Amino acid sequence: MRGRFYRLIRDLHLYVGLFISPFVLLFAISVFFLVHSWLPRRASETSTTQVVSALALPGDLPNLSGRPLIDALKPTLEKAGVRGEVGFVRHMVKEQKLIIPVTIPGRETTVSISIANREATIVTRETGLAHALVTLHKSPGQHGPDIRMNWFYMRAWRWMADSTVYLILFISVSGIYLWYVLRAERSVGLILLFAGALSFFGMAYALSH
Amino acid sequence: MPSATEPMRPGKLPKGPRFRAALEHWNRKLHYYAGLFLLFFMWLFAFSGLVLNHPTWSFAESWNNRKERNYDKEMTVPGPEVKGDLGQAREILRQLGIAGEILWTTTRTDANLFEFQVRRPGHFFFIKADFAKKRVNVRQSDVNLWGVIKVLHTFTGVQMDDPRNSRDWALTSLWAYSMDAVAAGLIFMVLSSLYMWMELPQKRFSGAFFFGLGSLICGLFCVGLRWLF
Repeated sequence: MRGRFYRLIRDLHLYVGLFISPFVLLFAISVFFLVHSWLPRRASETSTTQVVSALALPGDLPNLSGRPLIDALKPTLEKAGVRGEVGFVRHMVKEQKLIIPVTIPGRETTVSISIANREATIVTRETGLAHALVTLHKSPGQHGPDIRMNWFYMRAWRWMADSTVYLILFISVSGIYLWYVLRAERSVGLILLFAGALSFFGMAYALSH
Repeated sequence: MPSATEPMRPGKLPKGPRFRAALEHWNRKLHYYAGLFLLFFMWLFAFSGLVLNHPTWSFAESWNNRKERNYDKEMTVPGPEVKGDLGQAREILRQLGIAGEILWTTTRTDANLFEFQVRRPGHFFFIKADFAKKRVNVRQSDVNLWGVIKVLHTFTGVQMDDPRNSRDWALTSLWAYSMDAVAAGLIFMVLSSLYMWMELPQKRFSGAFFFGLGSLICGLFCVGLRWLF
């Protein structure tokens, strides 16, 4: 019975670990970019500009804000061929203009809609893989919960990011069990566990007190 | 069937070149040694990531439950030998007995008024110094343990969209390099697990399925979405 449980945990540790390893790599590699506020320069970073006319805009546009505004603008953006996660929409009342940032990991699009002319200027910038990793690492993030995750794929990403956390917790707990079974490694493991705990709590205490 | 996590006695070491056997042996050992050392760091970043991704979870609310203190103190105006805003901020903090990461905040319109923020996990200081009156006002916000956990996740001292901020507190640098070390440790753990999996011929096919599935889904978000849309 115990042997069967051990084998089950061992196999789950292996398969779950293999499944989440690309996600762990994504989060780990993007840490270097975020910690050092640096992104590798892309030799081929491209930017394109396009103008779309005769746009159908939602009728109650001036009365909308936040998520309802984003939801109302989605069909307009789709018609203009722009898809992705819509960020904070700036409504420049005087200029009768809407500035809409739209993001797909690795691509940033800014749509400027002239409400009077019903015309959109779309600037698309391909930002590359490193930027995509950073975008995914920070998504959905702590800001703007009312407006964020308005694109299906980014909502799916939130599920994946959450799942990665739960699976990491499983991997670590099952890893502790698998290590504990190895009697010969207990003392060295305990020393390392203690050293890690001391480093972690020591640093957290020094930072916060 | 040998497992990646089972101990191998010297007599059971795989045949072949000695180097390969030693590599397998140490790869396995280092995999769980690294995991045990990084355990608490891993739990912190995993759990805080989850909390940050769910700002509507009321149990983890920190900012709205903060405790505020507001006080004024007399100060000695930094002399001409103190250069720049950062130097002046450091001198004021020394006088106040506050330590933390100084954030670049506002542009100075009046040379006698100097406002800046200082942050450390759990504490936020909003400092307004009036050089003419030789007084400094400190608004201190202290957040709960959830707030500490959330700030630890993002406490790098730099911001990608604001190049003016740079690390100026030794502990920020120490924490930032710890983040690097944890990330490097995780990368090592992934690579070492892939190596251990490859050493298990019976599990190659089933393992390839899960690894392939994970790579496919992850690849969709990293590069696939740009191709599709």
